[in-house]
Amino acid sequence: MSILVNKRTKVLVQGITGMQASFHVKRSMAVGTQIVAGVSPQRGGTKYGGVPVFNTVKEAVDATGASASVMFVPARFVKDAVKEAVEAELSVAVTIAYGVPIRDMLEIKAMLKGSKTILIGPNTPGIITPGEACLGIFPENIHRPGNIGVISRSSTLTYEAVLETDRAGCGQSTVIGLGDDIIVGTDFVELLKRFHQDEKTKAIVLLGKLGGTFEEAAAECYQRLPNKKPVISYVAGTAVPFDYKMGYAGDIITRGRITAEDKKQAMRRSGIIVVDSINEIHQRLQALNLNSQ
Amino acid sequence: MNIHEYQAKQILNRYGINILKGGIAYTPGEAKRVAQRVSPRGPWVLKAQIQSGARAEGHFVEKRAGKEGGIRFLTGRKDIFEEAQKMLGATLITKQTGAKGKLVSKIYIEEYFPAEKTFYASLVIDRMIPCVTLLITASTTNMIDLAVNNPEKILRINLGLNDKIRTEQLSQIMDFLKLEEKCRKGLKKFINGMHRAFMDLDAIMMEINPVGIDAKGELVALDAKISFDDNALFRHPDIVQLHDDYEDDDRVLKAAKYGFQYQDFDDGSVGCIVNGDGLALSIADMLHNKAEQMACFLNVKGGVDKDKISAGIKIIMTNPRVEGILIDILGGFLRCNLVADGIIAAASEVGLNVPLVVRFEGTNKDEAQEILNNSGLPVIMAETTEESVNKLLKAMEESD
Repeated sequence: MSILVNKRTKVLVQGITGMQASFHVKRSMAVGTQIVAGVSPQRGGTKYGGVPVFNTVKEAVDATGASASVMFVPARFVKDAVKEAVEAELSVAVTIAYGVPIRDMLEIKAMLKGSKTILIGPNTPGIITPGEACLGIFPENIHRPGNIGVISRSSTLTYEAVLETDRAGCGQSTVIGLGDDIIVGTDFVELLKRFHQDEKTKAIVLLGKLGGTFEEAAAECYQRLPNKKPVISYVAGTAVPFDYKMGYAGDIITRGRITAEDKKQAMRRSGIIVVDSINEIHQRLQALNLNSQ
Repeated sequence: MNIHEYQAKQILNRYGINILKGGIAYTPGEAKRVAQRVSPRGPWVLKAQIQSGARAEGHFVEKRAGKEGGIRFLTGRKDIFEEAQKMLGATLITKQTGAKGKLVSKIYIEEYFPAEKTFYASLVIDRMIPCVTLLITASTTNMIDLAVNNPEKILRINLGLNDKIRTEQLSQIMDFLKLEEKCRKGLKKFINGMHRAFMDLDAIMMEINPVGIDAKGELVALDAKISFDDNALFRHPDIVQLHDDYEDDDRVLKAAKYGFQYQDFDDGSVGCIVNGDGLALSIADMLHNKAEQMACFLNVKGGVDKDKISAGIKIIMTNPRVEGILIDILGGFLRCNLVADGIIAAASEVGLNVPLVVRFEGTNKDEAQEILNNSGLPVIMAETTEESVNKLLKAMEESD
């Protein structure tokens, strides 16, 4: 078991003919991902790396039954790409691009509301269910199947969290990078719930960072969950002073300056195990004795 | 990207928002001439053009600039030259500039506005909902206090992306600020103008503090700040033209030229090169736990060009405050071997005079380690972030 994607998930690739896409698509297929279609306007009817290419997402879905998409389209075309994915009622869409304008993300969030699609990203390494499916740009050879769920707001720290699970002698059920941007498709709350419904996942590593109140929302959600699974969390940015910036509006919106320490306290109160250094995670995982259960 | 008050006001004016007569001056003589033009008899307001709030409550570093802040009210024509001379070329420190302050290279001279009433208005992205939110409050100072201790004194209205303000929302603002009926029409125009400019120009923050109301019920933007979304600047070449390079640190500008992010902190002696700001933050936390601080970091993001990476590394190597360098790369998109080549190229140009610890993980790690091991450079290798922090602190202690 896993969340969002597994070895039976049929995946299509939006923007498959780009250079970065072809490199990562090959790697994803090598780890077993069922990539059944590519989408590239005006290239429909051709094949790319053995994968049939269609002009639109809709055509690709009708022909192959794909239910998930990974997008390698440039930032300025992300809005249109997500629109296609939502209209084709895909269950999962991952967008890797960085530099998507905030106004486009506001429009994308409005599209996602009430839709059947969960968007991961932008500016994310993606989703990986080790040994089954990889929708993104994860490094090779650091993941292995296991029972730890990983959710991270920082792309690079996603890899660090995976290495920590490895040091603890554990593998991962599913690893998700939420994306580093101001506005992202999905936050901790939805994924925390899904990991709690997933039988295979025994514990969850949650990586937060300064900015927004995503960690507070996660803590509030966790507090209310019945049958809590252990959650270990690290929030990056305790030592860093706030950016000097113009105006007060940003401070007002968060009702005063929210520090990493505020986030950690909110999570501790909800029962989450909070560590002060990312390299403490493996010790806390070992202390859970998950493998002997 | 931020712009200056006078630029923001010109933009707002194009969206139907009233502004005062004013002009920009780079020299005291020019200030005198501009003052004459905007208001022959005064009084006038001289405003230091730095991209920061709380300028009135700020203070200048140089004694010659006088004890007053960066906003000065003048009634006598002969004072203009003298006060402009004091402020120009001086360094203004405010609550938002940091300890270094900012150099005042131009001042904005405006006619004086006899406000009967003032209030605060801003538009900002609420990333949690997410939406564009209008913030209104009668207070025009101590905003952070207000936000923490009296949030009920700030009205928050979430706006749609394209709709105009609704009648009931307008009434809500009128009641909240206890405005007279004669202000209603002007208020509607003012808020709609802000919102339209915000959406049209891909702004992420727009603050008018204060909005002034005169005896006739006219609303005027007495100050203005706008920040734009860097990722949307490709849609606004005219906005890009407004960028003032002098507002940015040299190293920030240099890094941006290569597509990297550079961040400077007030204390510390460790310079870091990472690929991801989360990684930089986690190293800063570890240093902090061991009673050391990060001086600066460079985030090379997903850089794929060896020459650019080498140029980026030089930005850190040539920072005189840096007494030890930590390079931590978790290769995914970015291949570790490119960074190894970049380190060697940079060191051969500017020399390596401080301890350097490198940790590689992910794509092409082994190849990268081999490149460095064969380079003859005194590089200390580490396997984890924690180990690299420990090794660097030890090497820095020994080199003292």
